Amino acid sequence: MNRDSAVLVFLELGSDNAVLPVSLECITAGRKLADALQGWLFGLIMGSSVGGAADHARHCGLDRLYTLDCPLLGVYHPETYCPAFLRACDETNPHFILMGDTLASADLAPRAAFALDTGLITDCVGFEADRSGVCFIKPVYSSNVMAAYTMKTKPYLVTIRSGTEDPAQRQHDKGAEVVALAVEIGESTLMVEVLERVLDEQEGPRLTSSSIIVSGGRGVGGPEGFAVLRELARVLNAAVGASRPPVDLGWVPPKAQVGQTGEKVGPSVYVAIGISGATQHLAGMSASRTIVAINKDPAANIFKVADYGVVGNQEQVVPAFTEVLKEILP
Amino acid sequence: MNIIVCIKQVPDPEGPQECFLIKPETMRVEPRGIPPVLSLFDENALEAALRIKDVYKDEVKITVVSIGKKISNAVLQKALAVGADELVKVEGETFDSACLDSFATATAIVASIRKLGAYDLILAGRQSADCNAGQVGIFLAGLLGIPAVTLARKVVVQGAHVVVERLLSSGYEKVRTLLPAVVIVSNEAGEMRYPTMIQRMEAKKKPVKTWDAQDIGFEGATLNRLVLRRFFAPEMRQGQCRLIDGETLAEAGRNLAQRLRRDGVI
Ligand SMILES: Cc1cc2nc3c(=O)[nH]c(=O)nc-3n(C[C@H](O)[C@H](O)[C@H](O)COP(=O)(O)OP(=O)(O)OC[C@H]3O[C@@H](n4cnc5c(N)ncnc54)[C@H](O)[C@@H]3O)c2cc1C
Ligand SMILES: Nc1ncnc2c1ncn2[C@@H]1O[C@H](COP(=O)(O)O)[C@@H](O)[C@H]1O
Repeated sequence: MNRDSAVLVFLELGSDNAVLPVSLECITAGRKLADALQGWLFGLIMGSSVGGAADHARHCGLDRLYTLDCPLLGVYHPETYCPAFLRACDETNPHFILMGDTLASADLAPRAAFALDTGLITDCVGFEADRSGVCFIKPVYSSNVMAAYTMKTKPYLVTIRSGTEDPAQRQHDKGAEVVALAVEIGESTLMVEVLERVLDEQEGPRLTSSSIIVSGGRGVGGPEGFAVLRELARVLNAAVGASRPPVDLGWVPPKAQVGQTGEKVGPSVYVAIGISGATQHLAGMSASRTIVAINKDPAANIFKVADYGVVGNQEQVVPAFTEVLKEILP
Repeated sequence: MNIIVCIKQVPDPEGPQECFLIKPETMRVEPRGIPPVLSLFDENALEAALRIKDVYKDEVKITVVSIGKKISNAVLQKALAVGADELVKVEGETFDSACLDSFATATAIVASIRKLGAYDLILAGRQSADCNAGQVGIFLAGLLGIPAVTLARKVVVQGAHVVVERLLSSGYEKVRTLLPAVVIVSNEAGEMRYPTMIQRMEAKKKPVKTWDAQDIGFEGATLNRLVLRRFFAPEMRQGQCRLIDGETLAEAGRNLAQRLRRDGVI
């Protein structure tokens, strides 16, 4: 093993304190990189009471797992997470650092890049390793073009879009060694003070964990149209998503947005209703197994990626579609 | 109070895919038949600044800083028309967006801000619509040694502080920090307002400064940390779309349900 070419994967925890699926995908990517470099694959978990997550992650194919367990790391705050993260980098001296492309990494990754005097490639959807090094691939120009980047500096810091790899699975092995790191962080020195947190009431299944998504676009026409979609979603036990216009117009909450700047999803079925299929929307949902489109414009781009389609006014199609599903679904 | 808004000029990101011509020889993407526009989230950042100015009126001066190879007056005048007070264009070959990564860009913006002098609040967009990097804002704060708050959906100035509603994956948090600070704005902050005809006319009289690399003492691409290897066209998912129809649209909807069930999709 070449101690010089360790890959460090930051394993982000969700609100349930379990490792996010996208972080498990990063382990898969990290394993490929580590094998190509004949280096170590390290994981890092930061949080509060991380025992359960660590127990799971250490069986997912890592060579070693580092943990930073501290009450102050219970929720993401840049001024606690960044120093803790740097502490782990110092300990592991990685050549590559991978994290999921999430709201937290949108904040953490550039801060870490700045502190480490290195570059950052965000939102990667793949990489190529050859003799001259590793290139990371990401969509640019609102997903109309792909770019391949390398870096002049070390470590390579990279965030990875969900849906890029298969999540690493838990194996029946003795598990990687777990090393608990200690870090001193003081609340008193924080420059940014959190006054309050306002969390949404979660109604219905979540976009990122649902196997079916019913998604509406501008063609849904308004909040009333979305009420009809919600009924369809209820029958299918699906989450409700949207393209950007319904979010911008306030018909649905921001977290419903699917696409380049919203959630990246890959359900088994994605039903796109009144969505034109702009590249920026496809960027978030083209990993879906089956795509069903309902759109009144036969030339709409969404039909180019869909597997099943109905051309017509969704106001007439959707209620009848829902009625039959009510009858035939168990 | 001096507010600086960083705005990048980009080819219209909503243009159709065939308009983004990839030139492998020069490693450039050349837009064809689509106009340059203000980068999307930068419009949201400017709107956030304007909402602060709505409250504090003439106590606030909004300066727009834009860096690029060639910056169109017509495009950036939109920022002046909606209510920015001054425009600073930093132009030249050195600033070709294909040649600079976010770190080099941030260094150039900081040099421009230092030359301008006073600043209390610096606003940037969440990510530029062309390179989709999402880094410049935090690098600005790092280089200036001031706090940064990301993913803002609301920005309010209260005395010596800025109070920001910051997006979380399941809601938002309200945070406060001392000025000067950098705030990085997301589209949830609201769409930029439309200028009136009169505002458009008046915008032409507002002050515009034009600087080059020498004026701000900028080294150029040597600062880059990333190396672009190549651009290529994305692979499009190709569905074999089975179109379902019926006598009426309602029947098509019913047939769709039956078909999905029969094929084991649901
Ligand atoms: C940097 C950037 C990031 C972006 N990020 C995202 C993102 O994350 N997610 C996203 O979705 N978009 C994003 N966009 C916006 C994107 O470019 C498109 O503008 C958007 O996806 C279009 O949404 P839409 O399909 O709902 O609306 P439209 O393009 O207006 O299409 C509406 C569709 O509905 C159909 N329709 C209308 N009425 C009916 C009816 N009664 N019955 C059936 N069909 C009907 C029409 O035929 C049309 O195809 C981004 C853009 C940029 C520039
Ligand atoms: N050339 C530029 N001129 C002015 N502002 C810029 C420039 N490049 C980036 N920015 C600002 O930095 C933000 C993030 O950029 P990026 O890191 O390139 O995604 C943008 O939304 C702008 O507010």
